[in-house]
Amino acid sequence: MDNKISMDNKISDDRRSFIKKVLNGTIGGSLLLVFSAGAEIFKSPEDIPAQIPSLKNKEYEITKAHFAFIVDITKCIGCGSCCVADKREYNVADGYYRTWVERYLKDYDDNVYVDSPKGGLEGYQSPREDIDVKVRDTFFVPKLCNMCKEPPCVQVCPIGATFQTPDGFVLVDHKRCVGCGYCIQACPYSVRFLNPVTKTAEKCSWCYHRVRKGLQPACVSVCPTGARKFGDLNDENSEVSKILKGPGVITVLKREMGTFPGLYYIGARREVI
Amino acid sequence: MQSGNYSHLIRIILGIIVFAVFGFIGKKLLTPESFGVYGHFRADAIEEEAAREIRHWTNASCLSCHAYEAKIHLKGRHKTISCEFCHGPYADHVKDGKKTGTLPVKKGEDMKILCMRCHNKAIQARPGEVIKTVVMPDHLTSQKVKETHNCSQCHHVHAPLMYIEKARKITGFDAKEAL
Ligand code: SF4
Ligand code: SF4
Repeated sequence: MDNKISMDNKISDDRRSFIKKVLNGTIGGSLLLVFSAGAEIFKSPEDIPAQIPSLKNKEYEITKAHFAFIVDITKCIGCGSCCVADKREYNVADGYYRTWVERYLKDYDDNVYVDSPKGGLEGYQSPREDIDVKVRDTFFVPKLCNMCKEPPCVQVCPIGATFQTPDGFVLVDHKRCVGCGYCIQACPYSVRFLNPVTKTAEKCSWCYHRVRKGLQPACVSVCPTGARKFGDLNDENSEVSKILKGPGVITVLKREMGTFPGLYYIGARREVI
Repeated sequence: MQSGNYSHLIRIILGIIVFAVFGFIGKKLLTPESFGVYGHFRADAIEEEAAREIRHWTNASCLSCHAYEAKIHLKGRHKTISCEFCHGPYADHVKDGKKTGTLPVKKGEDMKILCMRCHNKAIQARPGEVIKTVVMPDHLTSQKVKETHNCSQCHHVHAPLMYIEKARKITGFDAKEAL
């Protein structure tokens, strides 16, 4: 692996020095026009500039890493970019959602109406027409795995196929999962489902494969408003560290369940469950 | 007489030993490698998940080639929008540094639907301080253009105010103030 990376680096170094030489030459300008487009194509994920700077150029320490996810409801516009990115990153089967966006409506009698057509995958193109009430408050709530610190889904798995990593992610071992569905019933946040193709349990992983390479989860990286935030809690300067240490009101979903979510919400009204 | 007393004990002990040996071998065979390194699960599953293919390569990857779009996109109000949201994931376009597929560019009605995912004022749950929303077709009437106009006829999709600001500079006329 290391060999491969250094080979890649060597190739790109060679290319760079070649282009420099050409540039220094007399016909530099015109040749550069031909070469420039292909000059910097990223060949491997290692080439992508890290979005979580504290993980850059460092050996990943699995027992020390510590992350948090924050959803800012006051910033979400319900565009569903996050849902689209998630579906594409994992080729999620139609009708199943690893993450989704709910629309909340509240009327003057404190009734709450929630809908989420196609999980928000196609965005919200029209207002709700099936209810005829005066709307007092309305907002979007993105949902995903809460990465509980005391995950009920892990407790109930009979064969250790759903597990908690030392860096705090709850993942599914697709080679071991027998699809019994206990975890799907145990999750208080209903984020799990049985993959219709593999017949194994599936759920949001906070894009573990991306995080390990210093990239933001796909949904965070495409959110245009910054409503979804992910970051390193070991890094004092990360946005999530600052938010969690700050004075703002931050809540978790279904606190009384004792699951201790690693997913926090800003601006969640008490009706949000 | 005495030997008769022991024989049943020996049978029981032999039975236990056979059970233990089979149990031990069975457990060895059935427990996957790396099980229990960090806890009651297969530790290798962590690295397997970490090795999953990355399909969204972020704007940095797209814009490193598309320099012309980069110049416009990074200056405009749409700079926080992901290329891959509108056009599709990088992994469907480039592999090992070579182009493998063409990503779609939304046109016509599809483009309007895309714009309206964010900018539709009829969806009241969109906070005004986060995004500018409009009611269609009122917006077209108030801007004095035909109702058949598509968004991109006035707004550059990568920098929505680019043309408008240019027009303002040239004419010195601010449509908003004039209204
Ligand atoms: S991408 Fe961001 S703003 Fe759009 S629906 Fe998802 S969380 Fe909300
Ligand atoms: S939200 Fe559900 S799936 Fe995620 S860790 Fe908690 S119990 Fe498990």
